[in-house]
Amino acid sequence: MARRDFIVGGALLTFTLAGCQKKMTPAQARAAEVPFRTLDAGNVAILDALGETLLPGSSGAGLAHYIDHQLSGDAADSMLMIKYLGVAAPFTEFYAGGLRATDALARAVYGKALTELSSGQATALVAKMSGGQVEGWQGPPAGLFYFVLRSDAVDVVYGTKTGFEQLGVPYMAHIEPPSRWGE
Amino acid sequence: MTNASAGLPHEPVDVVVVGSGAAGSNMAAHLAEGGKRVLILEAGPARGPGHLISSTLYARRVKWTGPPVLDEGKNPVGFVFNSAYGTGGAAMHHYAVWPRMHPEDFDMHSRHGRGLDWPLKYPDLAPYYDKVQQEAGVSGDATREVWRPPGAPYPMPGVPVFPQGTAIARGFTKLGKAVAPLPIAVTSTNYNGRPTCLWDGWCDSGCPIGALANPLTIHLPKATAAGAILVSNAPATRVVTSDDGTRAIGVEVTLDDGSRRTVTAKIVVLAAFAVENPRLLLASATPKHARGLGNSGGLVGRYIMTHAAGLVYGLFDEDTHPYMGAFGGQLVNQDSYPKTTHAKSGAFGSYQWMIAQAVKPNDLLGIATTRPDLFGPALHDFMKRATRGFAGMTSVCEDLPVTDNRVTLTDQHDRYGVPIARITHDTHAESVALWKASLAEGKEVMQAAGAREVWTGPPGSMHIMGGTIMGTASGNSVTNSYGQLHDIPNLVIAGPGLFPTSAGVNPTFTVHALTARSAERMLSNWQQIAG
Repeated sequence: MARRDFIVGGALLTFTLAGCQKKMTPAQARAAEVPFRTLDAGNVAILDALGETLLPGSSGAGLAHYIDHQLSGDAADSMLMIKYLGVAAPFTEFYAGGLRATDALARAVYGKALTELSSGQATALVAKMSGGQVEGWQGPPAGLFYFVLRSDAVDVVYGTKTGFEQLGVPYMAHIEPPSRWGE
Repeated sequence: MTNASAGLPHEPVDVVVVGSGAAGSNMAAHLAEGGKRVLILEAGPARGPGHLISSTLYARRVKWTGPPVLDEGKNPVGFVFNSAYGTGGAAMHHYAVWPRMHPEDFDMHSRHGRGLDWPLKYPDLAPYYDKVQQEAGVSGDATREVWRPPGAPYPMPGVPVFPQGTAIARGFTKLGKAVAPLPIAVTSTNYNGRPTCLWDGWCDSGCPIGALANPLTIHLPKATAAGAILVSNAPATRVVTSDDGTRAIGVEVTLDDGSRRTVTAKIVVLAAFAVENPRLLLASATPKHARGLGNSGGLVGRYIMTHAAGLVYGLFDEDTHPYMGAFGGQLVNQDSYPKTTHAKSGAFGSYQWMIAQAVKPNDLLGIATTRPDLFGPALHDFMKRATRGFAGMTSVCEDLPVTDNRVTLTDQHDRYGVPIARITHDTHAESVALWKASLAEGKEVMQAAGAREVWTGPPGSMHIMGGTIMGTASGNSVTNSYGQLHDIPNLVIAGPGLFPTSAGVNPTFTVHALTARSAERMLSNWQQIAG
């Protein structure tokens, strides 16, 4: 298995570093507005809003870029938690279907898009999803989707060397992650 | 390590071993050291210590990425998390908790009318536990481990106890229960040139420094030093048998370009774990073995088991340093090992506690996942509090063997044209009751220890066993006690798939002991088995 870094798409690569692929953290990819390869703009907006509700700061940490990057590569190299949870690869439809269903739930309950909900409304919606039983939900199981996305948010915020440091957990690596995950 | 197209030998070998995990590497090492020409086929990629990156995220690449497996039933076995694809197999990322099975595990049906009997007894296996623990290095304290069956003392002292372990041990002590250092195949001292563990808790990512007894550290170097050849990216897609169906004559390998090669051997060993082994036997059906190899009794694939994990957590006022130690834990308690301990709760079977496991902030077994109900600012707050005062322990609950918990073939095929496997697993009611009883005890312990918050997790699945069980005849099992198929004696199964019952302890040490015994048998009866 090749060690693979968090590598942005080819179009940006020549553009930025004269032929060398640029290594970035998800947060850096977000700041650089690296184009998405799998998620569409609508999905990204929903993901950003949902991420902030699940774990404030996760959107800024590059949650959408992290998921997009993982969905765009070889499934064998995927680092997404979902691979542990009995869902067969590829996982793109799981995410797209879950995001669609969440937005549809917002429209059904509040009559507006998820991205337009107040913080309180978004919190109430996510609480409903976390319980797993959501009337009219059309997508992967709501509870599973909540669990997966929440785990992804935790991964980008706390699963890195920087995240460990924020909590005061010594990282103690034998072999450092080869990307700029640690910033 | 060699890639398939270049590395597959054209000459016959003495033994072809399918799988490079705990069982395959052990078998290969002992047979190669016994002078046999051994080829190890690994379906997955080549992987060395440099691939074992200290990261909960990168660790997910070390898990199963092979052909899809349908993981179904009320209580799925968690196949992807509990297995692996590539050099070292699942043992590459196992936590090396190596307790012995107890004498009562081997004749449970005779004693209690539950489950099945093994075709051997504890004294038959004890010498091999002793041999393997010396070879691989196990840390522990045989005297303090009052539940331990007879055996040689551990070659290394017990692992250190950090504040998380001290906090939980207080609860056990207050309730009059004993704890002892967890027997674990991790170096508590320098051992045979291997360094002492740093207690950094990166076991799940795979230990690259040689402190944990994974195949890269122990048996693969021994195997290759003795001349065994390991070929990666070489999926076995069929076991080839003689025209009369009485012997295995080799293994067909399908390469990435779709071409197929058959490697011929005098003995074929399947050590591809509890799901892939029955899949391969079923997928290798011939007119002589229409239901699959070794399946004259209709038992291939049956009795799949997994330990239900009883997850109990506490939050303490003291700083528990929960990130220190080994991933498997620091201490053990086996007071609930006698099978009828919790009979009043409708439970049957054994369990042990793995106490004070090192945790990371994220991941399936990480701190955040212990409270999946929390999100938003409350989750941040919990993460900060738990990093200081978190403590956890896990019961390893025996899973009674059920005939309909099984591996079957589906009508879908993988990219090599082999039918993909479906696993169906519903936990036996008495095993569910055992898991519940363990949670009740665990909460009591945490409260006695002084935790100000105590909570539990859902029934996780740990380890996969059964599917090609051993026994005395084809009417009750697939193999004999050495793993030889009753129907085809030079086709040998190795690994936890042989277990007729799951016991209440982690399986890898027993896998090693059984494999060492089987290898010794093959060498001493070579002519009879190899023909």
